[in-house]
Formats: sequence, structure tokens, C-alpha cells
Amino acid sequence: MLLSQAVHTLPERLARLIWGWALAWWRIVYLGAVVLVLGLSPSSYGRLGRGLMARRIYLETTPILLGFTVLAALLSLVITRIVVVTALSYGLSRYALEMVIRVLVLELIPLTAAMFVAMRCAIPSGSQLASLRVSGRLAALDRAGADSVRMELLPRVVAAAFASVTLAALSCVVALVMSYLSVYGFNTAGLVSFTRMFGHVFSPEVTLVFALKTLFFSLAIAVIPMTAGLYDLGKSERRSELGGLARMFAVLLLIEMISLVGNYY
Amino acid sequence: MTSPSQPEPMAAELGEAELIRPVAHLRLKAFALLFFTLFLVVGSALYLMVARGAFEPTQRLVLIADDSEGVVVGMDMTFSGFPIGRVRRIELGGDGTARILIDVPQKDAHWLRVSSVFTLVRGIVGGTGIRAYTGMLEDAALPDGAERPVLRGDATAEIPQLMSSARDLLGNLNALTAPDSALGTSLGNVATLTERLQGPGGALGMLMGSEADAKKIVQTLDRTNALLARIDHMAARADEQVFGAQGLMPEARATVIELRKLLADARTSLTKVDAVLVQAQAVGSNVAEGTADLGALRAEVEASLRKVDGLVNEINRRWPFAGEKEIVLP
Repeated sequence: MLLSQAVHTLPERLARLIWGWALAWWRIVYLGAVVLVLGLSPSSYGRLGRGLMARRIYLETTPILLGFTVLAALLSLVITRIVVVTALSYGLSRYALEMVIRVLVLELIPLTAAMFVAMRCAIPSGSQLASLRVSGRLAALDRAGADSVRMELLPRVVAAAFASVTLAALSCVVALVMSYLSVYGFNTAGLVSFTRMFGHVFSPEVTLVFALKTLFFSLAIAVIPMTAGLYDLGKSERRSELGGLARMFAVLLLIEMISLVGNYY
Repeated sequence: MTSPSQPEPMAAELGEAELIRPVAHLRLKAFALLFFTLFLVVGSALYLMVARGAFEPTQRLVLIADDSEGVVVGMDMTFSGFPIGRVRRIELGGDGTARILIDVPQKDAHWLRVSSVFTLVRGIVGGTGIRAYTGMLEDAALPDGAERPVLRGDATAEIPQLMSSARDLLGNLNALTAPDSALGTSLGNVATLTERLQGPGGALGMLMGSEADAKKIVQTLDRTNALLARIDHMAARADEQVFGAQGLMPEARATVIELRKLLADARTSLTKVDAVLVQAQAVGSNVAEGTADLGALRAEVEASLRKVDGLVNEINRRWPFAGEKEIVLP
């Protein structure tokens, strides 16, 4: 193959670079498709499959839940306070809360949750997969006739995606509660107007974009780090891991940009 | 899944590696987690639906405007500052007017009456606002599907007019305050005047033009003051003289009283005199008659005398016996 030859001339190096880049992206797309197919097929949810998935989901979500909730609460409290005080100084306090919801709940929290899950769950899972591959377990499973993808990859991917969605949902709720508390305090005086404003912000289009964004975020952070771990790239192993990270961030950024365009353009 | 021959080499590998123990009650915990996530998602969706008023019975209000610029689907219609309706649709009517379809929750619909007025106000800063005003709350309630015209107020439409007026005003101001304009020269004169004001003559010197004239005026003023003082003094004395206890007025009063008495006497005298005069008048008329007769008599007498004289003269002329030419009258 082209990869194994020693190359010196510029056109050859360029061609190799483009080929490597295209291959990496193709693998991501392909693995994403595989994971979706497997995730949507009922046979993946046999007794063992369910057991594996349940275990991974629990192990990956529960430890980070409390920590991230506290982090999200703190972050939303600080940001809400900053925005409300700034808006008050300009006499624009009635726009402050709406802005907080748009910025925090719609944009910041899902992105932060996705990146947090990526750091804590997906990337370690990718490393685990890489070590499983290197140690030969995946090959052993394949030789034994088992589906290593369904046994090792799918539960990790599903767990990471689930963790991302759960964390995003929980931290959005926490952010809403903290923003309400920091503006109105511990009473129900502003509940009606807050609810109304929340309904005003979350129009059907915005809600759809938000839901799709969260879904695609979770898919991106679940699939891309696993791709890096799953494929054997020989000498460029180290670079491929970092490249996987970079690709994941690029995809996250792309999804964010598309959601912003969909919301505000 | 795994074949029976698999566990032996695997067990050898696993024996050396560190083992993670199975999670206790994994199924339960996994279910709980799944349920929690589902609860979060479904709860958020329900809260969103409540926030958007999906479970509120509403009635429809249609506002007819000739221009719906600034109106956005989802914006609130406020009544006394409280949102009581939400814009659901904006469409173009058959006659080219904009139809704004508003959903009003039925619990708030009692604030709108058939006589309610609706306004669409667009300020310079901030978005457009739809406001409802109800003057008579005892009026009939607004029915479902009612169509009402909305009054439009757009502050930004006034801006071009305002700008052109401001431009005209600025042009006029420029003409007015130009250095060679009437105002400029007037102000220059005013400056000269104020300089003179601060000069030795002061305001008076400025009015009179020269200091000597100003001094004259001051002197005149002093003299007038002295005169006034004297007149004042005189007036006081005159007052004393006329109205004092020893003054003129009491005497004049006494005089008047005497005069009155005199006049009364004179009146009586006059009435007597009047009677006398009447008599004198009669006498006089008699005398006048007599005088007239007297004249005739005299004339006759003279005529007679003349005759006599003539006769005597004749006789004397003719009488040879001239004797004394004397007539002795009887």
C-alpha cells in the first residue's frame, strides 16, 4: 500500500497526506454508520448485550454525574450573575434572563457537557479499546466467533452517548434552576414570567435544533475517540490519537456552528 | 457469543490482571439511571409545552393592521404590562391588510371587552409591542374569533420628518448666527453698550451719550428731589393749614354755613325785591307811556310855541304900535 513505502518527493507526500486524512474521516463516518445500525437493530439487545450496555452505562455515567452537576451549577450561577449585573447597569434587565437562557442553556451547557463526557468517558474508552486491540483480546473474540464490535465497541459508544445526553439534560435543568434562583431568590414570585419567557425562547424550531444538536454532540464524542482506538495505524499511533481528538473538536465546532446558523440566521 | 474453548486461555490472562468486580444490583441501577434520564427529557418537554401554553384553552383574536412590520410570531400582547396573549400567525388578508392571529388564554380573556382598543407601537429602541386597553370593564366580553383593527404608532417613521425639520432649523440658526448677520452686529453693539455700562457714567452715561449730560440729569434729579422734599414739607403745612384744627377748612365750613344763612336771607329779600320790582315795572310802564305822551305833548307845545312866536313876530312886524317885545306867559 501507499502507506508502507518511503516517500520523499512533495507530490507523493501531499498525496499521502490527503489519503491519510480522507481515510481517517471515512473511518469515522463508517464507524458511525455501523454503530447506528447496531444500535437500532433489536438483536443487539439480547440478554448479554443488555447486560454489557447496562454495566457500561452505569459505570460511565454515575461517577461523573454529581461532579458535573456541581460544576454546571457553579458555572451557571456565575454567568447568570455577571449577565444580570451587566444588563442592570445598562438598564436592560428585562432582557438579561432571556439572554442567560439563550447563551447558557441553549449553547454553553450542551457543548460543555459533551466535552466533559468526551474527556472523562469517551477518550478513556477509546484508549481502552486501543489497549484491547493491542493486547489481542478483540482478535481473540473475533477468532472465537464473537462480534467484538457488539461486545466491546457498542456498549462503550452507547454509554458515552447516553452519558452525554443525561449530563446535558441534567445540567440544563440545573442551569435553569440556578438562573431563576439567582434572579428571583427562593420564592415563586417570578415563576410565571420565567416560565413564559422560557416558552418564548424555546420555540419549536429552537427546540428542534437544540435536540438535534445534543444528539449529534453525543454521537460525535462517542464515535470519534473510539475510531482512533479501533484501527491499527502502525507507526503513527500517537499522532492518530491526537488527530482523533482534533477531529472530534472540529466536528463539535461544526455542529455548534450549524446550530447557530439554524437558530439565528 | 463466546465458545467453550475460550475461557481457558482467557482465564490465564485474567489471573494476572487486576479484576473489576461486578456491580451489585446492576439491572436496578441501570434502570434507575435510564428512568432518570427519561424523566429529565420528558419532564423538560412537558415544562416546555406548559410554557408555550399547549395545555391552556385559548380563544382567538384577530388584529387587522395595514402594516405588520416588527410583529414576530411568538411575541406577547400585553394588558397593563402583563402578557395576556401570544401571536400565533401573521398572514395577509384578502384586502391586502395584515391579519395578526393572537391566542388569548381563556382565564385572561375577561380583560378584553368589545370596546377594547389595541395598539401596535414601535419605538426607536426595543421591539414592537402590541398593547390592549380596556376602558369599560363592564362592557360585553370579546367573543372568540373577534376581528379588531389595531392602531399603529411608529416612532421611527417620524424620524425623517424630524431630521428635515432639524436640518431647516440648523440652517436658519447658521444664518442667524453668522458673523455678518443682524444678530452678530446687534451683539457687537450690545458688547459696546455693556462696556459703556461698566464705564464711569454707568447706565445713565450710556443712555445720554456723554458724561456731562449724565451729570445734568443727576443734578436735575437731585434738584427734583429737593423740590419734592420742599413740596412735601409744603404739603404738610398746607395740610395743617387747611385741614388742621386751626386751619381753613373749619372756617370755610363756618363761612359756608353763614353764607347759607345769608343766602336764605338774600332769597327772602330777593322775593321782596321781586315784588317791588313788579310794581316798579308797572310804574315804569306807566312812566314809559307817560314819557311817550310827554314827548308828543312837548312836540305839540313846541309847535304851538312856534306858532305863537310866529304870530307874535308877525304882529310885531305889522303893529305900528311897537311896544315891548315881551310875551308874558300865563
